[in-house]
Amino acid sequence: MTDAALKSQSLRPYLLCVRSSLTAALSLSNFASQTSERHNVPEVEAASSPEVLLNPLTVSRNENEKVLIEPSINSVRISIKIKQADEIENILVHKFTRFLTQRAEAFFILRRKPVKGYDISFLITNTHTEEMLKHKLVDFIIQFMEEVDKEISEMKLFLNARARFVAEAFLSPFD
Amino acid sequence: MLLLDYQNVLIQSLLTERFSGSPPVSIDQVVSDFDNVAFHVSTPETRSKILISIAVKCYKELVQYGAQEVLEREYGPYIVSPEAGYDFSVLIDLDNLPSEPEAREDLIRRVSLLRRNAMAAPFERAFDDFAHRQEEASKFTSESAPEGVREGGEVMTIHYRDEEAIYIKASHDRVTVIFSTIFREETDRIYGKVFLQEFVDARRRAIQNAPQVLFRNEPPLELQNVRGLADGSHGEVGYVTFVLFPRHLTPQRRQETISHIQTFRDYFHYHIKASKAYIHSRMRRRTADFLQVLNRARPENEEKERKTASGRTFRVQG
Amino acid sequence: MATANWRTINIDLLDPDSPSNFSLTSLLPTLAPVSLPEVQNLSSQIRQLLRGGDTEGALRGALENAPYGGDAAAKDLHLQTVSEILQSIKQSEMSPLLTRIYTSPGGPETLDVLMKYLYKGMSAPPSAPGSAGGSRSLTPQATGFSQIGGRVGGGEGGGQAMSVLLSWHEKLVEVAGMGCIVRVMTDRRTV
Repeated sequence: MTDAALKSQSLRPYLLCVRSSLTAALSLSNFASQTSERHNVPEVEAASSPEVLLNPLTVSRNENEKVLIEPSINSVRISIKIKQADEIENILVHKFTRFLTQRAEAFFILRRKPVKGYDISFLITNTHTEEMLKHKLVDFIIQFMEEVDKEISEMKLFLNARARFVAEAFLSPFD
Repeated sequence: MLLLDYQNVLIQSLLTERFSGSPPVSIDQVVSDFDNVAFHVSTPETRSKILISIAVKCYKELVQYGAQEVLEREYGPYIVSPEAGYDFSVLIDLDNLPSEPEAREDLIRRVSLLRRNAMAAPFERAFDDFAHRQEEASKFTSESAPEGVREGGEVMTIHYRDEEAIYIKASHDRVTVIFSTIFREETDRIYGKVFLQEFVDARRRAIQNAPQVLFRNEPPLELQNVRGLADGSHGEVGYVTFVLFPRHLTPQRRQETISHIQTFRDYFHYHIKASKAYIHSRMRRRTADFLQVLNRARPENEEKERKTASGRTFRVQG
Repeated sequence: MATANWRTINIDLLDPDSPSNFSLTSLLPTLAPVSLPEVQNLSSQIRQLLRGGDTEGALRGALENAPYGGDAAAKDLHLQTVSEILQSIKQSEMSPLLTRIYTSPGGPETLDVLMKYLYKGMSAPPSAPGSAGGSRSLTPQATGFSQIGGRVGGGEGGGQAMSVLLSWHEKLVEVAGMGCIVRVMTDRRTV
């Protein structure tokens, strides 16, 4: 089996697993803070009441691609580690995730800072699941994961192609 | 526009317009060029006399390598004593232009190549040195050649930017041109590496007759006796070596080669920036796509029509 | 102490009545402590079944005797036993096997435990079997060009082991449903 076929074959179960795990985790309800009156905070972030935090789930395809789902009673934190095979991909992933997080305001569910060890994090609260369609939110995360990989590969290919073209254009007058 | 022009386009268009016979106007303009080179174009005395001055950071070094002779050859009768604050000036009298259109064109071209010509001196010297050494070496077999012939000449250093320099060295079978480059940012460093890798590979892959390009972070062997080199251990500094072979150094091709190799650094940086800009716009577009997908998760905002008590209709916003 | 930044101290943690100090033990049923030798003993029994070709028996045995009361070492050892069983079962046998367990008495609970092991397997750094990649990190300071080129197959560390777990996960959700995942999140008894 070729390498590429093997990869695309292992991508499907990975995304499927993220999808079902996420769907299960997105059972949220409103929950007022127990520590401060009249507050209502995402418990997974506040971490002030251990009994409303649930067991975190990790879905991983390999060491460099995984998703951490941290559920709680009223919020779920999803962190994604994006594949980075070399330093070009590393820098492209870094740039892209930074670009996205700077626009976190528009993305509602995007966390401004990734959880340590991951490249990008989302925070979905009960307000989000009440106002938006839950299965579409899951669709979004899945599509995001698919496209991000593709985008990074394409950007890298572009960079190499352009570099090659530019180098040849500069050197051919000497020929 | 893939390759960069050798001449300064602003000066070129300005002179073309002035030479076309339109009524003289007073000019006072500072024009910037690559590598912190500045031009000052002005009409200090009368409107018909245009003074063009150039300031180059490393002019002293260039003079040392024979810039004065090169410039005298190119601009002979037009040279005047340098304007205060600048290194070299030419004065063009509009009432006293050459009569033939070709000669005028040539004058425009030459003036707009002022920066290129100022920087050309060390290259010309190296190329001459090469020709001389080649002749010397042809008298010996490679084993019996005396030390001086095999070793090659001194390394000429041009500190054309604050932290970057060009080093030129002639040998009996080649001229080596080394650019030191500096990248402060991690991103630039990696982009630069991708580009340089292609420069290195191009010769092997497509263009067999191109100069050999080498890249490394440590100073190359040619520079082992040069002092004051930046430390390359942090990966910020790199050395790009172009090895020009005899076929690039023939009298017919040398002017073109000099012009072209001078544009390397600017060309290289220009394309790194262009790539960054493109990738940025790509990310912007992709982000917009993601937003669209996310917005699908919002239930349709139904556009309900409502009526006020008086019977007028209005739309509910958002 | 003089240098301590008082503002950053979470005073809730110092208050025994604070919700932050809510003891999770009250949510746990009392678990019989399991010692490491017991788990080792169990794992060798299970291996015996596995060698005899009774994969279903081995899997059941492993899942029904999950060492909830054990310490980290005991749990890790058991995880290894379970992964070994999972690796030895062919892809085509997964679904029939899961359906058989699901329909047997106590089957759904057994499969909940299996789900716990699948997630634990994915969260743990890949251990001995099938992890050719090991812990491979990026080398950001490479001065050469070694890293440039096609997308190298690097970083597939543990990819093979993970892909087995992912197939199991897919089949298990088909048989036992989403509720299975929810029970992994909510059950305080961790494997």
